[in-house]
Order: sequence, then structure tokens, then C-alpha cells
Amino acid sequence: MTPSSVAIRISGVAHQFGEPGDARHVRALRDTSLDIARGELICLIGPSGCGKSTLLNIVGGLMSPTDGTVDVLGKRVTGPMPREVAFVFQENALFPWNTVMENIDLGMVFQGVARAERAARARRSLAAVGLEEFAQHYPAQLSGGMRQRAALARALSLETGILLMDEPFGALDEQTRMILGEELSVLLSRTDKTIVFVTHSLGEATFLADRVAVFSARPGAIKTIIAVDEPHPRQPEFVTSAKFTEIRNQLYGLLHEEIRKTMAHTGAEATP
Amino acid sequence: MRPAGNEGRLASRAVQAAFVVALVVLWYLGATRWGVNPLLLPNPVAVLGDFWAILISGEFIDDLRVTLGELAAAFAIAASLGTVAGYLVSRSQYRIRAFEPLFAAVYAIPIILFLPLYVLLFGLGPASKIALGATIGFFPIALSTVAGFGYVDKVLLTAARSMGASDYQLFRYALLPAALPIMLTGMRMGFTIALLSIIGSETIASLAGLGHRIVQLAEGMEMARMFAYIIFVVAIAAILNALVSALEARGKHP
Amino acid sequence: MLARPWVARVAVIVVLLCCWEIAARFLVDPMFLSPPSRILLSLPEVFETRGVPAALRVTFSELAVAFVLSVVIGLAIGLAVGLQPFARKSFMPIILLLYGTPQVTILPLFILYFGIGPASKIAFGVSHGFFPVVVTVVAGVQNVKPILLTSARSMGASRWQVLRYVIFPHMIPSFFTGMRLGMTGVLLGVLLAELYVSTAGIGYFTTLFTQNFDPTRLFGLISVLAAMAIVLNEIVRRAEVHFGRWHTD
Repeated sequence: MTPSSVAIRISGVAHQFGEPGDARHVRALRDTSLDIARGELICLIGPSGCGKSTLLNIVGGLMSPTDGTVDVLGKRVTGPMPREVAFVFQENALFPWNTVMENIDLGMVFQGVARAERAARARRSLAAVGLEEFAQHYPAQLSGGMRQRAALARALSLETGILLMDEPFGALDEQTRMILGEELSVLLSRTDKTIVFVTHSLGEATFLADRVAVFSARPGAIKTIIAVDEPHPRQPEFVTSAKFTEIRNQLYGLLHEEIRKTMAHTGAEATP
Repeated sequence: MRPAGNEGRLASRAVQAAFVVALVVLWYLGATRWGVNPLLLPNPVAVLGDFWAILISGEFIDDLRVTLGELAAAFAIAASLGTVAGYLVSRSQYRIRAFEPLFAAVYAIPIILFLPLYVLLFGLGPASKIALGATIGFFPIALSTVAGFGYVDKVLLTAARSMGASDYQLFRYALLPAALPIMLTGMRMGFTIALLSIIGSETIASLAGLGHRIVQLAEGMEMARMFAYIIFVVAIAAILNALVSALEARGKHP
Repeated sequence: MLARPWVARVAVIVVLLCCWEIAARFLVDPMFLSPPSRILLSLPEVFETRGVPAALRVTFSELAVAFVLSVVIGLAIGLAVGLQPFARKSFMPIILLLYGTPQVTILPLFILYFGIGPASKIAFGVSHGFFPVVVTVVAGVQNVKPILLTSARSMGASRWQVLRYVIFPHMIPSFFTGMRLGMTGVLLGVLLAELYVSTAGIGYFTTLFTQNFDPTRLFGLISVLAAMAIVLNEIVRRAEVHFGRWHTD
């Protein structure tokens, strides 16, 4: 990859919570390096607690790594970069006291977008996720899937080059998840956003990703990277193809081993 | 992380101690150096002396006995009537919907307003304090009894019934354990506001009791002694409240 | 006949009023108890008593001023203490301790410091009213969902914007709860102080009617005040329900 085609460069990042020797000390992430290309969708999967969400927060500047550096579009990350990076979180992160429209507007207020531009951008992003009719609804009046669409609309309205998604569909049921996955794929084919997508669903990763980074058990590090060579927007038929099954099974094999290790590890922790 | 937490807690304690010390020092300086009228702010040393004298001489016993006697009587009445009334109301959804709003509405009125009526009806002696304390304590106790017994999870009762529980067993092993924690909270609230209203009504219109003593000293301009009594009463109230809270906690987690 | 709960409620109230009526007419000395029918009929008389309308106005303005001061002071202290974890850890125990003490013991001090006029009633009302506001404001700014703060930060919100758009709106429902509890406190404080000593407020007249053994007018005046208290409570409660409406998730 040439330097200009790299959107995110992660070099030797490691993270630990608490000081060594402390009872609550946790090594979440060890020596991780990864280059993510512009316009790429990369999925991070791994056993729970492998540090994939931690890595996402570090990339987005919400956490500082204990070791190593991250560069986003050639700039060293030292804090949140609202103009370059937008987040979609797993939990409902919409402000419950604001309507969907106000939520989207507020994101742009925080980002510093001029008033004149905000309304048009908000309308465009609402249309992109198909929520125009629900602009005046409060989050509590929406279903879980619609809330995550609204959160996605808010992130899109920020018009950042990079989107970091932390298990955005994790709390949704299987059907809603599938639909949103397909919509996301369509959406991506129209933009050239770079997306880092954390998930624990093998199917979701296979369906969405250009590359899937598989993490090893805690302290996590990237174990293998699997490429998914299939153009966006991906069709529902892709799910039933032999290619899909093969990649999914490959990921399953890799992950299974790591999950077993995690279980053994936690078992060992329980009996000091 | 943990050492930092400990340091934080120590620092908080230090700030709290400093705050209290600063208050006492300001009080002392105000009373002795800055010439604040001793009728408004007596010397803390004199207050401490009087406090000690009150404790040693035991002169507080009579007033304390009056106040505690009123409190005991008022609370006994409030607790028994409140539980019975609450239990009776809780026995059907219909009664709950009929009477719970009534209790809640009366509870929203500052019942201290009725003190003049109670004084008129029951005189200046302990009877008016007991009646007022009982009235005020009644409502939280009755409301929490309704809440405790009226909203027990139906599944729990069905399960007990399906296992062949008798009426008594149902009450003893399903209803009561479910209702008790909520009732105890109501009892504590009832106790606290009964105490408050009794001291209040002693302050406003009475012949004896701790509240009355403070007013007498205020009218006699015996400031140091009055402050000493205020500290004494606040301490008694704090002890009583701590005691009741401890009992409540114990009743909830036997 | 008893199909609707309110019918039973009204029936019980009517029965109680009848008992009271009978007791007052036939059993108790009229010096001490007055039947409800007579109280109702003589309500206009209460208002015609020289000084009573003015006294009601005085008491009402004491309540209003004490309430506003309680809310302002409570909000200021609550924010000062609540927004800073260290300040919260240090000062909340002290505030809770003071909140828990029966302030009525120092009622004579308030009269001593602020005189027997409205100032002492307002001050005593504030001393009862601002604690619940402080406590609920502190609770309100404290328990914002961390994801909302993280998300605001990720979108580039400044410290002030986080306060203005996240913490303040989150605090509003508990702030209104605090206002309702503060109103209860203010009513208690102001009325206690009025009853203790008063020259111009309703406390003066309750004492007067009691000393004159005039239960009819005493009941009447107290009913008016109770109604006032219920209305004030209800206004604040409605506001609480209204502003807490998004709090459903």
C-alpha cells in the first residue's frame, strides 16, 4: 500500500487497564499493527474481551494506548477527530430527550457545521437510511433497528471519511440485523468511506467485510487476516454461495480455537 | 487504580474535616474577636461547657422523657393503624384504586397546618403532640403497606398456591416477605417525620419537651445553653434515626 | 353502585364528614369543634375578617420567594458539587448529614437572626426547600449514561456543549422531582415558622382564632391553606410529569 492510500495506520499498539500488580490489571491488547486502506471495510472479530472494541476506541482517539501509535489520514491520533472520524456504538447512544432530527443536528453542532448546511445534510442522511418519516420521533418511540439506523444517519451526516462501528447491530434480532447489513453494504457501495466494523457475528463479518481481521484471545492481537473478494453492494444471494460458506467456515475454525483458549483462561482465573 | 482511589478518599475526608474545623474556627473568631453580638452567636467554648453541664447534671432527663414518650405513643398509633388500614386497602385492586389516591392526596398536604386544631382539641400537653405525630406518621406507613402488599408479584402467589399453600402459609411465606422491605421503609419515614413534627409542635405550642426547652432558652436569651440544647437534640435525633435505619436494614436482610 | 373506585372514595369521605358533623353538633363542646357544614358556610366570613386576605398574601409571597430561592440556591450548589467528582465525594456526605437533621430545632435561631417578619419564614422555608433540590440535581448530573458522554466527545463536543446539550437535559426530570420535593419542604418550613411566631402572616390568625376558641374560622382558614398547598404541589407535580416524559427508555 502506498502511504497516500492508507487511511488508518496502527503501529505496535498495546493497551492495558490499571497498573501491573493491581488486582484489576488487565492486558487488553498486545502489539497490534495494521494498515487499513481508503475506502476499505474491515471487520474485527474475536472472542469477547480480546480488545477489539478497545482498539476501535484507540483508533477514534477516545482512549490513549499504553504503547504504540495510530495515524489517521497521515495525522497522529491524540484525541477525538470529529472531522475525520465518526462512531456508531452498540448501545443506543442517541440523546433520549431529542428527536431523531435534533439528534442528527446536534452531532453537526458539536462538529462545528454551519447552521445553513445542517438541515440539508440531515435530510440527506435520513434519506440514506430511510428514516425521513421518523425525523420528529423520539428514540423511545422507535424500534431497536430504527434507533441504530438513526445513529447511523447521525454518523453519516458528519460526512467523515472514516466510520468506526462498534457492534452496531449487536443488540438487534437476527432478521433486523440481516436487513441492516444489506442496507449498509448498498450504502457503502455509493460512498468511499473507510469503515472499521467490530462484530462477533461470523456471518455479518463475511457478508460486509473486504477483509476480516481475526483476533486471538486476551490479551488480543491480530491472528490472521482473511480477504473477502466480492464487490459491494453485496446481494442476499451471496450468503448462500459456496464462497461465503467457505470463508465463514474458515473464520469459524480460527475463532473456535481462540474461544476455547479464552474459556480455559477464565477457568484458570476462577481457581487461583 | 486502587491506590489512587484510596488517596482520593483520604483527600475527601481531609476536605470534610477541614470544612468542619473551619466552621468551628470561624464561629470562635466571630464570637470572640470580631465582636458578633453574643446574643446572636455565643462563644463555642461556653456552649461546650453548657453542653457538658447538661449531660453531667442530667437535667435533660425530664424533657427527653416527655419527647420520647410522645414519640413512642405517636409511632405506636401510626404504625398499628397505618399497617391495619394499609393491609385492608391492599386486599383488592378495587380498594387500592379507591383509597390509595386519597391517602396520597392527604399525604401531600403539610399536616403541620392542623397543629392549631389539635391544640384546640387536645390542649397544650402531650396529647396534641401524640395526635399530630400519629397523623403525620400514619400516611407513609399506610401507603407503603398498600404498596408492599398490593403489588406482590402474581407469579409468586400462583406458584405458592399450586404447591398447596394454605391462606396462612401464603401470608407467612409469600406475602409478608415480599411486603416487609417496603413496609419497613415506610415505617422509617413515618418515624422520622413523626419525630420532626413532635419537636416542631413542642417548639410552637407546648408546656414541656425538648423543643419547648429550646424555645424557653431562646426567650430567656440564654444563648450558650440554647445552642447546647440544640446540639443535644440534633444528636438525639441523629442517634434515633441511625437506630431506626439500622433496624430497617436488619429487617430487610435478616 | 360501587362499580367505580371514585364512588367508594367519595362515599367514604361523605361518611367521615357525616360522623364529624354529628360529633360536632351533638357530642363535642362547640368551643373546640365545629361541624363541616358551618365551616363551609362561614368561609366567606373568614375572608371578611380584617387582615386575613392580607395575611394570605403575605404567606403566599413568603412561599413563592422561599421556593424560588430554594430552587436557585439548590441548583447552584447542586451543580457546583455534582459536576466535580472530588467535590461530590467531599461535600455530599456533609449535605446529606445536614439534610437528615431536624432543622426545626433551630427554628428559634432563625427568628433570632431574621426577625419575626417574613424574612425568617423565607429563610426557614429555604432551609427546608433547597436540600432536596441539591440532592436531586447532584443525582441528575451524576448518572448520565457514559455512552452518551463518549458519543458527544467523539463528535467533537466541547466541555460547555456537553454540559449544555447532554448533562442539563439529562438532569431536567430529576430537577423537577427536586422542585416538587423542594416545594413540600418550603411549605413545611414556611408554615412551621408562621405557626411559631407571626405578626402579619396566617400564623397570626391561627393563633388568634385558637385563643378565641373560634374553631369555625380556624378550620376555614386552615382549609384554605390546605387547598393552597394542594394546588402548589399539583402544579409542580404536573410540571414534573410533563418534563419527565422522554424518560421512557
